[in-house]
Amino acid sequence: MENSTSKNVLIDASKIITEALVQSGADVFIAYPITPSNKFYSYSKMRFPQFLAGPDEISVLQWMSGYAAAGKLAVSATAFPGLALMTETLNMAYMMELPLVLIITQRLGPSTGSATTGAQGDLKFLDGVISGGFPLPIFSPSNFNDAWTLAHEAAKTAVKFRTPVILLTSKEMVMTQKSFDITTLEPLEKIDRTPKAFEPPYLPYKSGKDRVPTFYPLGNDEYEVRFNSSTHDDEGLIRKGNPESMANTRRLKEKLEKRIDEFSFYELDTQDGANQLIVSWGISADAARDAVTTIRKSGKKIDLLIVKTISPIPPQIYEIVDSYKSVVFAEENLTGQYKEMLFGKRNIPSVKTATKFGAMLTPSDIESVVNP
Amino acid sequence: MEVKEKLLTKVKMPFCPGCGHGANTRSITKAFENLGYGTKDVTMVSDIGCTGLVDPLFACHTIHGLHGRSPALGVGVALGLNRSDKKVVVLQGDGGATIGLQHILEAARRNIDMTLVVYNNLLFGMTGGQMSGLSTNDFKDFKQSADDADPYDIVNLAHQAGAAFSVRVTDLKRYTEVLEEAIETPGFSLVELASLCTSYGMKKVAEFKEFVEAEEKLINKRPVGITPERNTKSLLDGMQGLTTQFTANIENRMGIVIAGSAGGGVQSAAVMLAQAGMLAGLYTTMKGEYPITVGTGFSVAEVILSKEPINYTGLEKPNTMLIVTEDGWHKVKDRIADNSLVMMDDKIKEEHTFLSKPFFKVAGKKGAALSAVSYWIKESGIFPIEALEKVIANHKYASALQDAIASSDKL
Repeated sequence: MENSTSKNVLIDASKIITEALVQSGADVFIAYPITPSNKFYSYSKMRFPQFLAGPDEISVLQWMSGYAAAGKLAVSATAFPGLALMTETLNMAYMMELPLVLIITQRLGPSTGSATTGAQGDLKFLDGVISGGFPLPIFSPSNFNDAWTLAHEAAKTAVKFRTPVILLTSKEMVMTQKSFDITTLEPLEKIDRTPKAFEPPYLPYKSGKDRVPTFYPLGNDEYEVRFNSSTHDDEGLIRKGNPESMANTRRLKEKLEKRIDEFSFYELDTQDGANQLIVSWGISADAARDAVTTIRKSGKKIDLLIVKTISPIPPQIYEIVDSYKSVVFAEENLTGQYKEMLFGKRNIPSVKTATKFGAMLTPSDIESVVNP
Repeated sequence: MEVKEKLLTKVKMPFCPGCGHGANTRSITKAFENLGYGTKDVTMVSDIGCTGLVDPLFACHTIHGLHGRSPALGVGVALGLNRSDKKVVVLQGDGGATIGLQHILEAARRNIDMTLVVYNNLLFGMTGGQMSGLSTNDFKDFKQSADDADPYDIVNLAHQAGAAFSVRVTDLKRYTEVLEEAIETPGFSLVELASLCTSYGMKKVAEFKEFVEAEEKLINKRPVGITPERNTKSLLDGMQGLTTQFTANIENRMGIVIAGSAGGGVQSAAVMLAQAGMLAGLYTTMKGEYPITVGTGFSVAEVILSKEPINYTGLEKPNTMLIVTEDGWHKVKDRIADNSLVMMDDKIKEEHTFLSKPFFKVAGKKGAALSAVSYWIKESGIFPIEALEKVIANHKYASALQDAIASSDKL
């Protein structure tokens, strides 16, 4: 564990994520306080170049969108009640193609539920949050090292693909402190925001083969730009039902799904001859890691898939899951929301869930589903 | 001043014949051209509704957002640009001003450097002539009047909230000069322009004229709201590394629950225990639990100490439970496992058979939790008490904490 260069500290992932986002070049943190995202608020107040206390979550995401349109990278952190208020503006930012990072710390619902109890219950809401069934990039860290790298990837993906990105965490992931060697966190580079080359003339929503239009901010002295939340053409003007504007809207899905390889993150731990797979994500991943250790010690073969790019679903995830005789999904929610993203609500004998509602899913909860 | 660039495009106005919005829009571009601003100096932020159709009319930067939210979007743009030579103008109707009233007040309160122009035609033109929060009683009683409440005076509200400049102007001939004044005022300016809706407002022209007479101009001399940019330091660099200096006497993994009341130092005692464990070469976790009202009720903390790296941070069966108050006892008593070692403050009145110690008596309310932790460290021999002393050595309240640790000698 410890060597001459290591620096072990007692730390939480809120601090790790905040630092990673600032090192990646995030300019401003804007939020309305909410449990259990409180630590992001207090760390960001110390660390971000700019900090703004919004009067409500609708204002928060609107202000962030304004910053984004002006060329700045804005970050916020909230929980479901705040996310619910942000939903209309999240769609706006998605349609305008504005880069921003939104941290969601999941807590027990429905509604205000239990603010200090963790959960993994907001996934299905987020999976459908963009009207029309459009995918929103969602990353979920499974440990502290993921918290660092995925915070960076979230910022990078937001800028590269001109999109809001969700960093989906939960109460125990970001509030529990752990002894941790912070020298394992490699320094991060600021994300390059120089506008990429384009084929003239400049049109704010015209893209090339990479399907992402070149970004110039409002107020720039080279090109007049337009951002538009309604169905729009390449110029950024409202055009109802014309082929160019409909193609522009479809592109929002294609730019993410056709380039998913550029942000597909997962961890696959295999052993020869296993025909059963545990799939987990976020806070439950550590319970799954412990369960796998115990199951293997007992002599049974088992593989483990930890998914970190939750949406869009990388095609490899389907390939991996399909290659096993039986699969157990380990999640801290009522029905197995990630399982439902892959398989729907229908009961399939080879697909089981180890779930827990209102408390952390334990390694033994998972073991008892694997070995009934 | 010389006109640098035309801000108005040649696109045909999208409004109904005779609609006041066309004249309003021309007045805005005229004001900018008179002041000498070019197309790259101006950002127009548009709302939803008839006023939301303006984007193609402008040759400058435009951003078209949601109903009522455009003043908030404008705040973000203005703060993000942070340049007094780049002008941000938000256009919305009276419906937008109603649904997004909070955003207007917030922009005014902060005196953000931007101009909001409210095209007030006293109704929702796009959805069928419904009444808004800015519709006057005289105007609204002819149809769909759900109430007889007086309308918001948006000019006065913005003023009360702190706008540098807020004005209602109803004489079309003066629109341009008033808009010029608003644009050139540093801080938040609101201009309410009367605008007759020819589709739904023609039956009430006389009542509309009554509203039109109520001009108003209000000034606040205040500094412009800014968000300072700061140079900050890494959150990680300043953290003190905890290197192994002591030896731990532990089989594998041990979970300790500390249960007390808010203000009793439970959370900090748990952090110190975890850090002391690290000085003894152990992997540790620390998890807190307390009600939303952090200043009252129970306060519970869980610490895991382990020779092996810790993945799962939950604690199903605590090995040790240190209970210092009744609040804490009620919160955790159901968690006692078969082999849990329980140590309790002797003031807890509940009947029980656990080891009782006068933590509160020897260390006081704030020191009892740390006293209990110290007692357990010494009794269990998990690592030397010096590890805990080392953790608190540079603490702001080191001497009080040292007293709490020393108090455990009396137990």
